[in-house]
Amino acid sequence: MTEIEPTAAPSVPVGKRVNPRIAQWKRTWYFLRGNTLALIGLGIILLIVIVALYATTTNVSWNAMTEICGTNQVDGGPSTCGPGFISICTYPAGSSPPGPGCYQTPANELSEIAPTWSTHPLSSGPLPLGSLTINPDEQYFFNTYDGLLRGSDWSLIISVSVVATGAFLGLMVGAVSGYLGGSIDEGIMRLVDIFLSIPQVLFVIIFVAVITQVHPTILGLSPSASAMLELIIAFIITWWPFYARVVRGQVLVVREQKYVEAAQASGASRGRIVLRHIVPNSVYPVFIQMSLDVGTVPLFLGILVYLGFRIFPSPYFPEWGSVTALSVVKLQLFLETCQVSGCVIPWWQLFFPGLALFLYAISVNFLSDGLRDALDPRLRR
Amino acid sequence: MRMWVFIVRRSVLLIPVVVGVMTITFALVSALPVEQQLIAHYGQPGPHDPWIYDPTLSPGQGDCPPAPNNQSCPNKFYEYAINALGLNKPIPLQWGVYIYNSLTFQWGTVNNHSTVADEFADLKDEPVTTVLSWYLPYTLELAGLSLAIILAIAIPLGNLSAVNRNRPVDQAARVLSFSGFAMPTFLLASLLLMGTVIAVGSLSATHYLVKSPWCPSGEAAFTEFFGSWPSGSCFNVQAIYPTWMGGAVHSSPTGFPTIDALIHGQYWLSLDTLIRMILPAITIAFGSIAVLLRFVRNSMLEVMNLDFVRTARAEGIPQKTVVRRHAGRNSLNVTITVLGLTFAFFIGGFPVIEYVFGLNGVGLILAYSIQQSQGSVDFGLIFGTTLLFTFIIVLANIIVDVLYAYLDPRVRLG
Repeated sequence: MTEIEPTAAPSVPVGKRVNPRIAQWKRTWYFLRGNTLALIGLGIILLIVIVALYATTTNVSWNAMTEICGTNQVDGGPSTCGPGFISICTYPAGSSPPGPGCYQTPANELSEIAPTWSTHPLSSGPLPLGSLTINPDEQYFFNTYDGLLRGSDWSLIISVSVVATGAFLGLMVGAVSGYLGGSIDEGIMRLVDIFLSIPQVLFVIIFVAVITQVHPTILGLSPSASAMLELIIAFIITWWPFYARVVRGQVLVVREQKYVEAAQASGASRGRIVLRHIVPNSVYPVFIQMSLDVGTVPLFLGILVYLGFRIFPSPYFPEWGSVTALSVVKLQLFLETCQVSGCVIPWWQLFFPGLALFLYAISVNFLSDGLRDALDPRLRR
Repeated sequence: MRMWVFIVRRSVLLIPVVVGVMTITFALVSALPVEQQLIAHYGQPGPHDPWIYDPTLSPGQGDCPPAPNNQSCPNKFYEYAINALGLNKPIPLQWGVYIYNSLTFQWGTVNNHSTVADEFADLKDEPVTTVLSWYLPYTLELAGLSLAIILAIAIPLGNLSAVNRNRPVDQAARVLSFSGFAMPTFLLASLLLMGTVIAVGSLSATHYLVKSPWCPSGEAAFTEFFGSWPSGSCFNVQAIYPTWMGGAVHSSPTGFPTIDALIHGQYWLSLDTLIRMILPAITIAFGSIAVLLRFVRNSMLEVMNLDFVRTARAEGIPQKTVVRRHAGRNSLNVTITVLGLTFAFFIGGFPVIEYVFGLNGVGLILAYSIQQSQGSVDFGLIFGTTLLFTFIIVLANIIVDVLYAYLDPRVRLG
């Protein structure tokens, strides 16, 4: 046989013992490496992670918050900004400055700053991606570049915490349910059915609407942090049933394998069998589903914000889904009231946040698809 | 097992699911303060009276019948309401009352201080089920249209991409599928809407104008693109439309807009309503097509490798017939199963789409009832909509099971 199989996995050197699980990881990486789309997806995700790390570790993020929190002090009213934020004082052209350090802003001009490398008097730096203001009357704006930078870590933190916790819960519940079987399995699967028949968006809405009314603060956190935590909890509650179902299906196959039988014969306890044998061997579909879901969470957040549901402390909260939703609202408003004079469609307000969100979601899709191909031998061919 | 036995058996199995969903909503409702629960069920007691028990009033004061909005005896009404909902009784009893109310369609009353009541004045103090019955037909029509679009696109395209594996058609279908996953519905809907307006519209002194055949001036405002029917911004609706269309959605006879227009002999209006539905229906369909396409393709790939397909080919049957009659029918099972599994996701897209396009459906009511801009959140409507959507999903699952059993007799016979 001279022909070499094109996609043969690298063989493990004879005599050198490699942990079978590590060998499996190496094999997965080998197949993933051949998939261009998956590599592109992985690259974009890595880039986003690096950007997010950069945003959290440098103080650029706090400057971004300045814009987000900047408040209209024309009437000399108190700043709504929390501690650690700088409030921006602005006043419209024609009136006298309310105090020192206040900037004059021409009406209706502030809201539409096209992408520019020059520094606007109100921003901490250049506006390479332009500005975003929801309401044209507002005297403050959102520096899209800073906001997206800052938003990268919020989007990642929220989606990863939701998906990781949901997947862990689903994995445990599904493994126990599938392994034990019988009435426990039946009960758990009925519970999963119940949760799966409520649309996710609706469940998050009713849960957050009720919980924020009943418990405005939890665990001694500030109201906005509590609301965020409650939102994440709501998402986790809607997310675990998917994983439980997927894992159970896998466990039903795995528990019939010889090595599980061997473990039972050698007297291993149920807990040990589930944790050491069942769970590690039914975890692959979970990874595929997780990589897919990480991209879905910001889309859901965007939907909630778009519907006008208050989930974030500030309307300018820098989360990608939220920013995209707000820019959509803004652009629709703009098209309805667009005047001939200076009526340039502010495409950048929707384009950049939308692009960020879309790239994020589609790159995890690419990765997920590549993972599925790499982990499922039937699809390799 | 005969088919009807199968149907009855599946239906009975779904009772625990329905009761379970109600239990979840009950848990959330009963976490609310008593006052909020009373508002959700009975609406506001009066324009200014809060739901409170006033201890300064004597017990016999205003010995009047316990009717809602009876302001002469607030204490009596409060006591009556607390008793009727079982709020002074143990939790299991409260649960029983809640389940009973939910099953008998007593889903509460619209709060007249909420944003939704502010937006839609004729919903004030109406029972939630009445409101939902006004707005459900439009949603059903839209759902039917978009399901038709999903099936008409996903199945042929999935078959095509499986047959032309790794060729350009397959790659294009794959890109379509990926973007369907990654595109937020609200973004896609708004882009389609704004794109259409910018493409066909023109800029006037104040608005974007859109050409409209039934506008005297020939052009209508950008907002003409929104809504289930042509709005009054272009011409006098009252003068031209029959009275059932004068403005309130619930004055139409069947509630289904296209059917109503046909009943009244307004054929062009029926057509217009249908045209207005196409863009939203495509938007809703997009996400489900993305999911379905992938599954149809994979199942077709599996079926195409089976022996009976090879036999059919060996018999000299043309490729088209093999794909359509031998392989295609077998992958239909997968299509239906996946459609059932993603139905919750499909229904969950309606609030956004109806809100973007301003369509008079249940989703629009939900979207307004969660807003706090001009009033409070409307818990009665939120929970009512959740129950309604859940019922629809459960019903759809029964239909999917029955279809599956019909297509694959092993399911009901085995």
